[in-house]
Amino acid sequence: MTGDVQVVAAPAGGCHIFSGCGYPAPGLQDFDFRPMFTIGSFGFTKPMLIAVLCALAVIAFFAFAFSRPRLVPRGVQNIGELAILTVRDQVLRPALGRKGDGYLPLLVSLFFFIWLMNLMELIPFFQFPAMSRIGFVWPLVAVVYILYLYLGFKNQGGWGYLRNMIPPGVPFFILPILIPVEVARFFIVQPFTLGIRLFANMFAGHLLLTIFYLATWYMLSLSIGLLYAVGSAFMVVFVFLLELLVDLLQAFIFTTLTATYIASSLEAEH
Amino acid sequence: MSGRSMGLLRRDAEARREAEGKGRAQGLETGWTITSYLIGGMAAYGGIGALVGRAVHISMLFPIGMLVGLAISLVYIVYRFGRQQAGSGTTASPKGDDR
Repeated sequence: MTGDVQVVAAPAGGCHIFSGCGYPAPGLQDFDFRPMFTIGSFGFTKPMLIAVLCALAVIAFFAFAFSRPRLVPRGVQNIGELAILTVRDQVLRPALGRKGDGYLPLLVSLFFFIWLMNLMELIPFFQFPAMSRIGFVWPLVAVVYILYLYLGFKNQGGWGYLRNMIPPGVPFFILPILIPVEVARFFIVQPFTLGIRLFANMFAGHLLLTIFYLATWYMLSLSIGLLYAVGSAFMVVFVFLLELLVDLLQAFIFTTLTATYIASSLEAEH
Repeated sequence: MSGRSMGLLRRDAEARREAEGKGRAQGLETGWTITSYLIGGMAAYGGIGALVGRAVHISMLFPIGMLVGLAISLVYIVYRFGRQQAGSGTTASPKGDDR
């Protein structure tokens, strides 16, 4: 079974309350997709298509917006500048200050790629947030964390970077107690939470939407179920609006944390 | 209003916006750092407890290690982040975040 809500709803086609069949509850199977086509043993699935399209859309938009930049912006360049300035003023500058402007392309790309990938759960035909497959999240976390470590070691030196993990002024005999905590936080928990937060929010959001979509269809009948169907349809609208906010918020949190990580790696340089 | 005072007002508004953004970014990072410490402490000492427990055949060392890790994390969080509140108040950066 594929994860597409339309396809999930298909088996429930004639399945309504009081018709003898149970509620076709959504679950993990809604996140598995049959390959659209295969190349050898590699299967190209719908989430992969969504990821490719999102990446192309972000590249195409900014390439088009700034293909012929003018001093006084017109048309799409206006929107492109607004997008870049929003990320600069709300994400980059608060964490990194003016010295961090070199990281603006990375943060702009990350923000809009994640936002668009998340928004795909609300766009008809796609109706699936690719970030709810954790395989799409870990590469982004890897990019951020490798950059974070690289900048830290480059700017503060190997020993200095590790020494600075522990706040100054901690008594020497306390260090053996704190080092395991810091190592676990820095190398395991922090990258883990960075990825899991994005994945879990998208996963839960998609599941919620699917539950209420299916419940609306399942309850739809000329009985008391109709009342529940209306309630469930109301919840679809509510969750839809909530997800609009969550999609943006998760892209914002991921990018803001990336900026603060970079800032803490560069701080010795500041 | 003269152009000069307009410029000053705009700069003032920009500085205020930047300060607000800075507070938001710092708050977000502090919140998630504290969460990471709580999980990290339990993971590290729970792991050590599990390894020692496996060696000496005392399975209770795993939950005990987790509780010890949680306690260490809590004390460390208070040491690292609590002092900025108790000290001059609001503007000082977290103790360990001055790297």
